[in-house]
Amino acid sequence: MTKTYIHGIGMTKFGSLPDFSMKDLLLKACSEALKDAGRPKIDAVFVGNFLGGSISNQEILGAIVANDLGLGYVPSTKVEGACASGGIALRQGILGILSGEYETVLVAGVEKMKHATTADVTQGINAAMDTITNEKSAGLTFPGFFGVLANRYFYETGATKEHLARVALKNRENGVNNPLAQFPKPTTLEEIMNARMITDPLGLFDCSPMTDGAAAVVISRKKSPIHILASSQVSGPTKMQDTKNLLSIPAIGESGRIAYEKAGLGPKDIDVVEIHDCFSMTEIIAIEELGFFPKLEGWKAVEEGRTKVTGDKPVNTSGGLLSRGHPIGATGIAQIYQLVRQLRGNAANQVKEPRIALAQNLGGTGSYSTVHILERV
Amino acid sequence: MKVYECCGVETLTKKYFCPDCGGEEFADREISDSGTVYSFTKIHIAPAEFAHIAPYYVVLVDLDEADCKVTTRMLEEVKIGDSVTLDKLEHGAYIYRKV
Repeated sequence: MTKTYIHGIGMTKFGSLPDFSMKDLLLKACSEALKDAGRPKIDAVFVGNFLGGSISNQEILGAIVANDLGLGYVPSTKVEGACASGGIALRQGILGILSGEYETVLVAGVEKMKHATTADVTQGINAAMDTITNEKSAGLTFPGFFGVLANRYFYETGATKEHLARVALKNRENGVNNPLAQFPKPTTLEEIMNARMITDPLGLFDCSPMTDGAAAVVISRKKSPIHILASSQVSGPTKMQDTKNLLSIPAIGESGRIAYEKAGLGPKDIDVVEIHDCFSMTEIIAIEELGFFPKLEGWKAVEEGRTKVTGDKPVNTSGGLLSRGHPIGATGIAQIYQLVRQLRGNAANQVKEPRIALAQNLGGTGSYSTVHILERV
Repeated sequence: MKVYECCGVETLTKKYFCPDCGGEEFADREISDSGTVYSFTKIHIAPAEFAHIAPYYVVLVDLDEADCKVTTRMLEEVKIGDSVTLDKLEHGAYIYRKV
């Protein structure tokens, strides 16, 4: 129990937003969260961001938030943990409150990617791998890692590309109903299956997109109807060739296990889930690692529709990274945004009266994972 | 190539400390470069520095003489279970070929 509560949320539209700078997006999400929380006094700011320095030549995001929003001389910090930057920023805010140093903290995440070329963004994202290795020299990429994983998963389980496509289709169906999602256009299994290849067997729809966007939350020691029951963070292997079992991402499993233990709950208690579907394959591994379905059987749950909004374990009701979009540093906070909406009862793809919600945010190819469990009180 | 071992775990890169016992002593031995394709992907969309050689294969090879895998690059089509060996080292990458 963190005895830390969520008081306000804010999020920009996700997508291609050429008229807004990274700063515009960040300030918009933060001001919305502050207003939603009733404009409390903020004691510290944490901002999750990954590519600001490398592709926008912009750092000091924490101080920009504090200054432009008139928060005063409060401490502010940028947090980097690749795609888990947002989840880690949230955890830093919670720890600051738990330490007794702060009462109320603003946590945000932001990324601006669409102005750069795909090759440059792919190159920038590669910084989230251990770059001084024979793996990087071989030309391995993020979608490459999950392509290698997917081919072995198919080989060992009998799952096929169609199961990956079903994950992408489900998340698109959810995203279509989310006004803030990047992709409002419905698609079909055929279109997904026939899309151009990125890294075999992953096609265009199996990979999360480049996205502009920001999200923010206000957390406090003061009570609110949304309690953060547990926060966990772990580090995992940074190289593919060193993984003991390619079909397991131990950082996800371990962060889940620790969070369940802290919350005194198990996978069966979770009513609604946002997980890190950076690739369709990753969602299948994550629902196994978090204990929702047995190892190497996640693809069967997908086939049976159990992770749909109407299923017994709704996963990524926001559309997930695949369809809501993946502005890297913002993703972990956008997951919290969706779950708070679910617990407040006014979410896109609202499930029936959820009480417990779980968010899992992954960084690198399993280098970082955070899990947060929220409770409606 | 050389592999390092402590507490029964073999790796291609030498670590500072053994994650199991914390020790700093690693046994090393030379092993054959040959192995079996454990899994692979064909990379169509490459980062800027590799765009000129795409599409290419990144292949995870299970080494025959160690309980250890190595990430390699190949230019020919492969499938899981194929026998492969080192062709050359190129800018820090293991370039493999079928045997």
